[in-house]
Amino acid sequence: MRKQIEQLIRNFIIESFLFGESDSLSDSDSLLERGIIDSTGVLELVAFIEETYGFRLADEELIPENLDSITNIVDFISLKQAHISNKG
Amino acid sequence: MDIEKKARFGKEILKINPESETEEITEFVREMTLKKFRRKGVIVGLSGGIDSAVIAELSVRALGRQRVLGLLLPERESNPVSLEYGQKQAAQLGIETLIVDITRFLESFGIYSRRNQIITQIVPEFEDTFRFHITLPQNLLEMDRFNYHSITVEGNDGNKRTERLSAKDWMEISACQNIKQRTRMIQLFYHGERNNYLVAGTTNKSELMQGFFVKFGDGGVDIEPIAHLYKTQVYQMASYLGVMPEIISRPPSPDTYSLPVSDKEFYYCIDYELLDLLLYAYENEIPSREITTALGLEEKEVERVFRDFKAKEQASWHLRQIAPTVTGC
Repeated sequence: MRKQIEQLIRNFIIESFLFGESDSLSDSDSLLERGIIDSTGVLELVAFIEETYGFRLADEELIPENLDSITNIVDFISLKQAHISNKG
Repeated sequence: MDIEKKARFGKEILKINPESETEEITEFVREMTLKKFRRKGVIVGLSGGIDSAVIAELSVRALGRQRVLGLLLPERESNPVSLEYGQKQAAQLGIETLIVDITRFLESFGIYSRRNQIITQIVPEFEDTFRFHITLPQNLLEMDRFNYHSITVEGNDGNKRTERLSAKDWMEISACQNIKQRTRMIQLFYHGERNNYLVAGTTNKSELMQGFFVKFGDGGVDIEPIAHLYKTQVYQMASYLGVMPEIISRPPSPDTYSLPVSDKEFYYCIDYELLDLLLYAYENEIPSREITTALGLEEKEVERVFRDFKAKEQASWHLRQIAPTVTGC
């Protein structure tokens, strides 16, 4: 499951922000510091996550800890999904 | 020179000598206008704000009031005091002015209706008589976070509703809004050319470094006489030059949204006093310890602001470039 999320997120980032050039993007790279996403890019990423996984991100969740690298994003999505399935 | 500056970093670092600065800028304006561009005068868009007031003052000192034309370019969503202050400042200077209400041009582009359609999709109760603005989160110092745009809509009853914008909606709204500055640029060049005047820009260093201007809008000018001065230095110039107190005390604002919003709320997320000192420290690579000691900040806070600077600098690099060419010339 985690592998699937990671692949989906990686593909989205490569297609949307690197225009297919995956070169040296590691899972722990900071997307902001590498200039891969800006404020508009963050919102694109948020929309993708919301549409793909069917949950809404609260404003306070838009932080680097959740969204600034592939690893952080995958951790965040996994946690959110676990939280939702525990509640459901 | 740099070593000396870095050693003295502190709250006084941006103090300038407005008298010598005035001499240098007026010489620049004279040289550019009369010798380099070979124009008869200067046209300035008077926004009722501090930057354009300073440019008008400096232009008059450089060329005399007969060679300065002030253009006032309100639209239906402008704050009414912008026109009032712009006119008062021009009257104080004794320069000729022209008022061109750009609402009809903006209507012909369909920007109000297109933009309002988008807002209605976000806030269904939105009506044309409602006011709105866009902001970024303001907690830059306090926590690690991303910038994202939110829209606040104010109904006729004064009630407000705020929603986070999607990337698509933000880009649509922003593209519509930027036509305001671009329409002003067209008017400035039209009246500049018909008078054989050059267009003086009003961008300051804080705006230039962080990309807080519209390409081919307020960034579309012939010369930029204050682009080497941080905003707080522009304030020092304004006091020295005798700009109207109402303009000096007015909170800086882009004045392109119907609901008032400050530069801080819309773009920078910190006050100009702190912003400029940190921009200086960022540009001159002042050691973190010196910054935290001088400004009473924590290292983490400085790191957050510098990350934000870098992100805005990267996102706006293209605004500061002329169109790249194949051979790079």
